[in-house]
Amino acid sequence: MRETLSLLFYLMRLRVRTRLEFRASLVIAWAAQAFGYAGVFTSIWLILTRFENIGGWSWPQMALLLGFHTLGYALGACFTLVQLRRMEEIVLGGEFDTLLVRPLNPWAYLVFSGFNIEYGGHILLGAGLILWALPQLAIDWTVATSLLMAGSLISAALITASMITIISACAMVLGRARYLFGIYFDFWELSRYPASIFAGPFQIALLSVIPLGYMAYVPVSVLLGRPVPYLGQAAGLVGLAAGPLSVVAAFFFWRSCLRRYQGGGG
Amino acid sequence: MSAFLALIRAAFQRELEHRSRTIVRIFGTLVDILARISIWQAVFAGHGSMNGITLPQMITYALIGGTILSSWDATMIVREVGGTIRTGAIGATLLRPVAYPVMLLAEQLGSRFFDWLMTSLPVIVIMGLIYGVQPPASLGHGLLFLGFLAVSLGILMLSAILVGLFSFWVFDAHSLEWFMRGILAVLSGGLVPIWFFPKGLAEVAHVLPFSWITYHPMAVYLGERDLMTSLFYLLAGGAWVAVLTLAVSFVWSRACGQVVVQGG
Repeated sequence: MRETLSLLFYLMRLRVRTRLEFRASLVIAWAAQAFGYAGVFTSIWLILTRFENIGGWSWPQMALLLGFHTLGYALGACFTLVQLRRMEEIVLGGEFDTLLVRPLNPWAYLVFSGFNIEYGGHILLGAGLILWALPQLAIDWTVATSLLMAGSLISAALITASMITIISACAMVLGRARYLFGIYFDFWELSRYPASIFAGPFQIALLSVIPLGYMAYVPVSVLLGRPVPYLGQAAGLVGLAAGPLSVVAAFFFWRSCLRRYQGGGG
Repeated sequence: MSAFLALIRAAFQRELEHRSRTIVRIFGTLVDILARISIWQAVFAGHGSMNGITLPQMITYALIGGTILSSWDATMIVREVGGTIRTGAIGATLLRPVAYPVMLLAEQLGSRFFDWLMTSLPVIVIMGLIYGVQPPASLGHGLLFLGFLAVSLGILMLSAILVGLFSFWVFDAHSLEWFMRGILAVLSGGLVPIWFFPKGLAEVAHVLPFSWITYHPMAVYLGERDLMTSLFYLLAGGAWVAVLTLAVSFVWSRACGQVVVQGG
């Protein structure tokens, strides 16, 4: 176990060192991605400057929501997105077969050897929005709320990693999975707004089978003392549990797809 | 011209092959439009109208602006150009009887026509039946809107091709794509129309070519401008298309000088 962990960290370090060989390109990539997100956030800010709120959420509240969403996503995606989005090519090209004969879990190998540090822009933007918004919001800071915030960020990262794992695992059975990422990102974009502004079925979907509502909306609502539909007082705890629960679901789903895998290469 | 049309037809037929992708795209666009309409319903809840714009107008803006005018991800052209240059496939394109930017334009037009027919129209019909969609303000506005549609398409594609061609010098199309995405998110008026912008930013956005992608066509469609003013804006948009065409052809001629073919 210890040897496996040290090997995984070694793979991660190798990947980071490779990317750091081109530092200027990395910094430009960070700036570009942060700029891309800032464009969308500016649109939301423009709505709020004119209309004052979206479904009762003011700009500082929305900024906290957006910051939380971006940061939680980046923490999960740096371990999963770029490497597992390739799963379709990995399966169809026969690369996955070569991973199966290695003395290392194929998921762990893919995730750690592809650790992506290009999310620096996301992290700076997300953390920056949170740090800007927090002093302007009347949040009752206690040990419990501090733990809730830290735990919810980890939970958001776990939800991201789990959902990406589940989608990529489909490639083992279906051969194709890339187009499913399109659906994921459509709902992911939906989840950067307060779920309360959507119709009932979408709220239920975002709080159950597509648990993206727990990425930011639920924890930020709890921190702000805003009511969360369907969950009420349990929102904080359910939000914290959503990440680990989605990891369990992803674990069993990946294993089940792996059992059905019959080779995709030609 | 026949090669250009053949490329458009080939791209259209290629899209036709991916049925599951089409269904996913319709579903994705429905989710996107639902989000846009929900946002406008939420913000208009306490206001009858804002700057003379009503909620039904904004629903129409979200529905038509978010499908026909901006649902399609133009930054994918930047990614494609970057990939062609990075892999060296650009060398083979120089052998073809059609210039690379013209070929790109034709292929993207084929995909776009398919997207209008198979994604935008079904989504407009479905969401229009649920939330309602307004017709053009008048027959004249409707006809002018068709002209604006061509200008919108031209500006979107030409600016994406232009940005993509810069990959010859910066070799990082991924970053160029994200910069373009950020600019389009605000300045095209795709999500938020420019009439809700603060004065200074609105003045800048008004004159830049990106506002012809969604904002100006929709302002005309909704009758926010009289016919003469709309015609003036259409001509100004046409001038931007001409400027961008010249810029693309200039950058392409310079880019050709950058190509070094190795091996053989």
